[in-house]
Amino acid sequence: MAAVAQTSSAADVTEPVRARAPRGRLRRHLPSYAAISPYYLLFAVFGAFPVGFSLYLSFQDWDGIGDMKFVGFRQYYWLLHDSVFWHALLNTFEIWFLSTVPMLLLALVLAFLLHSQTRFSAAWRVAYFIPNVTSMVAMTIVFGSVFAQAGLANSLFKAVGADGVGWLTSALGIKSAIAIMIIWRWVGYNALIFLAGLQAIPTELFEAARVDGANSRQLLFRVVVPQLRPVILFAVITSTINGLQIFTEPQVLFYSDDPGTAGGPGQEGMTIVLYLWQKSFNDLQFGYGAAMGWLLFAVIALFAIINWRLVSGSGRDDRPGIPLGKETGRGR
Amino acid sequence: MAPHRTISRRRLLGASLGGAGSALLGLSGCGTGSGSISAGTDHLTIWYWNGSLSDKLLATSARGVPGVPGLKVKGAPIAGDYRGRLRTVMAARAYVPDLACLNSPIGDYFPDENEFLDLRDLGADAVENEYLAWKWKSCVSPSGRMIGFPLDAGPTALYYRRDLFEAAGLPTEPADVAEATSTWEKYLDVGKTLKAKAPGHPYLISQIAYVFRMALYQSPKQFVDADNHFIGDQEHVKRAWDLAVETYRQGLSARVLDGTPDFNSALGGGRIASMNTAVWYINGLKDTAPKTAGKWRLTSMPGGPGNYGGSYVGITRYCRDPEGAFAFLKWLLGPANQLKSYQEMALFPTTPAAYDQPAMRRPDPFFGGQIPVDVFGPAAEKAPVIFFSAYENTANTPVYQELTNVETLGKNPDKAWRDAMDASRTALAQRGVS
Repeated sequence: MAAVAQTSSAADVTEPVRARAPRGRLRRHLPSYAAISPYYLLFAVFGAFPVGFSLYLSFQDWDGIGDMKFVGFRQYYWLLHDSVFWHALLNTFEIWFLSTVPMLLLALVLAFLLHSQTRFSAAWRVAYFIPNVTSMVAMTIVFGSVFAQAGLANSLFKAVGADGVGWLTSALGIKSAIAIMIIWRWVGYNALIFLAGLQAIPTELFEAARVDGANSRQLLFRVVVPQLRPVILFAVITSTINGLQIFTEPQVLFYSDDPGTAGGPGQEGMTIVLYLWQKSFNDLQFGYGAAMGWLLFAVIALFAIINWRLVSGSGRDDRPGIPLGKETGRGR
Repeated sequence: MAPHRTISRRRLLGASLGGAGSALLGLSGCGTGSGSISAGTDHLTIWYWNGSLSDKLLATSARGVPGVPGLKVKGAPIAGDYRGRLRTVMAARAYVPDLACLNSPIGDYFPDENEFLDLRDLGADAVENEYLAWKWKSCVSPSGRMIGFPLDAGPTALYYRRDLFEAAGLPTEPADVAEATSTWEKYLDVGKTLKAKAPGHPYLISQIAYVFRMALYQSPKQFVDADNHFIGDQEHVKRAWDLAVETYRQGLSARVLDGTPDFNSALGGGRIASMNTAVWYINGLKDTAPKTAGKWRLTSMPGGPGNYGGSYVGITRYCRDPEGAFAFLKWLLGPANQLKSYQEMALFPTTPAAYDQPAMRRPDPFFGGQIPVDVFGPAAEKAPVIFFSAYENTANTPVYQELTNVETLGKNPDKAWRDAMDASRTALAQRGVS
C-alpha cells in the first residue's frame, strides 16, 4: 500500500503544494530506493525465496514434479539415522582439516616471500592468484590424471624410489588428493590476503626488530604472526565456510554413469554437499536434500558461534597482547 | 543544467525498471498459455540430448513431417543436465516441450506418469508388432499407462581381444568363443587361462560391477517388483553378486573404474582382454582405444543375452497436438527411419525388421571385418522382459558401492553383502518401499 502511494505521488508532478514535506522527501528518496531495488528484487527471488522454500520443503516428500506429501520431521529423523550422512560429515571435516592447516601455513610463508620479493612482484602475485580463477571442473579432470594409479604423482614417487600411493583407492589417498586440490586453488588467494595484512604492518616494527638482531624466522613468528592475527582469523573463517561446502572436486573426480562410484571407493570422498546433491538431483528426494541443507546450516551456525567466541575472546586478549609481546622481547 | 540532469537520470531509472517489470510480466504471460514451449508457433518442439536423435531426420521434420500435411516438428538439443532440465520445466508447468526423449531407466518417470499422454489412447497398439516385445513392455507403467515410445535398444555382447585369446591358446572365432564362454563359470575359467598364458597377463574384465550388472540384467526380476516390494535379497541378485565376488577372488578384474585415466590406459594397453557391455559402447571403445583396432571381436554374452540402456520418446500432457505428435513418432521411429538413424548416429533399432537390411550388415574393420549386427541382432531379439521400478536406483546404489568397496578396498565380501542389503532396505523404507 505504501509503495503504491509513493509511486503515485512521485509520478504526479502537477500536484500543487498541499503535502509538500512528505512528497518532497519521497521524491528525494525514490531514486535512491529505485537504484538499490534491483539487488533486493533479485535477492528476494533468487536468494530469500529459495531459502524459505527449502525450509518448507524439508517437511515434505517430493520428487520435484508430483504432489508434495507432508511428512513432518520424518526427513530429519531419517537423516539422523543415515550412516552415510554422518560419514559424509566426518569426511567433510577431515578434508577441511587436511586442507586448511597446511594451506594457511603455506600461504603465510608465501606472503612473507612475496613481501620481500622486489623484482617482478606483480607477476608473482598474479601467478599465485591464477589457480583461484581457473575452472575447478577442468582442473579436477587434470588432477584426475595426476592422481591416477599410473599418473604423474605416482611416477614422481617412483622416480625417487618410493612406492606408489593409492590416491583414488584408499581412504587417506582420496582425502589427501581432494585436500591438495583445495590447497592448490586457495593458497594463492590466502597468500594475497596475508600480503595485504603484511603491508599494513608499520615498517618501524621490522626495523626495530632488525636493529634488535632478529633473524627472518623470528621476524615471521614474533612480529608478523601477532600483527596478522585478525587477518589470520578472517582466513580461517572463510576457509571454514568454503571447506564445509566442498563439492566440485569429489563430484568431478568420481563422476560416472555408475551410481556406485559417487564419492569414490568406500565413499571416502563423499562430502555433505555432494551427498545433498546426490539425494536431491540423482535420487529425486528433494525433501531429504532440503533437510540435509538445514542440518548443514545448523552445523555451520555452530561453527560460526565457536568462531565468534574465539574472535571476541582473542579481541579481549589482544590489547594486552601487544605489551605481552614486548615483554617477551625484553626478556630475551 | 542540474535539474535537467536529475530528470533524465530519473527517467532512465524509470525506464529500466519498467523494462524489467514488463519483461517479467511478458515471461509469465507466455507461460500461462498452455504450458507448451511451442505455444504461439507453427511447429511442435521435441527435446533431445546430442546423439539421441538423427539430426538429418529432425532437419526434415522441421520443414514438414513427410506424409502429415501441415505438421512441423523442430528438435531442440538440450546441453548439460538433460533430466534435470526436463523435470524443472515439468515442475514449473511452463515451457514444457511437446515431446521429450527419455533416457533409461524410464521407471524414474512412473511416479509422475500423468505428465505424459498414454500412447495407447493415440493408437500405439496398431504398430506394436513392429517393435521388440521386451522394449515395448518396458514403456508401460505398473498402472498400464504407456508413457514412452521405443527409441533405441542396448543389446549386450561379449567384446573380446582375439589376439590375446589366440596367444593364450584359447578359441578365437566368435562361434567357438561363444561355446567356450556359454556360462559365467566357463567364462571365468577362460579368464584364468588368459591371465596365466596371454602376454602381459591381462585381466578378464575392467571391474566386477560389470559382471554383477550383466548377470542381473539377464534376470527378469531386479531389486523392486511392480507391487513396490523389495526383492533385492533374493537368489537372482545374490547369484549375480556371487559371480562378481568370485571374479574378484580369482584376481580376474583390473579393478579400474569406468572412464578414469587408469581405465583408458588399461584398455588401450591391452591389460583388459574382454568386456561385457552394450552395443552403444562401440563408439566409446573406438575413441578410448583406437590403437586396438582390428583386434577386437564380438560374440554372445556369457549366460545369455541382455539389454543395457536404450532410450524412449514421450508425449507430454502439455502437447498442443497429440495426434500430430504421435504421427511424427510413427514416422521418426518407424523401421525405415530407425535404419537411417543407425547409419547416421549408431542408434541400435528397436524394430527387428531393420536387422536384415543390407545397410545394417556392413562389416566393421575395428572388429576385423565382423558384422556387429550378427551378434547384437539376436541379442536384442532374445533379451529378457525386465521390470525396472522407479526405486531401482535407490535400491541398487548401495550394492554397487559395496562391490567397489570389495574390489578396491578389499572389504570382506560377506560383510559387504550384509551392509549392502541393510543400506538398500533403509533407503527404500524411507521412500515407502519394503
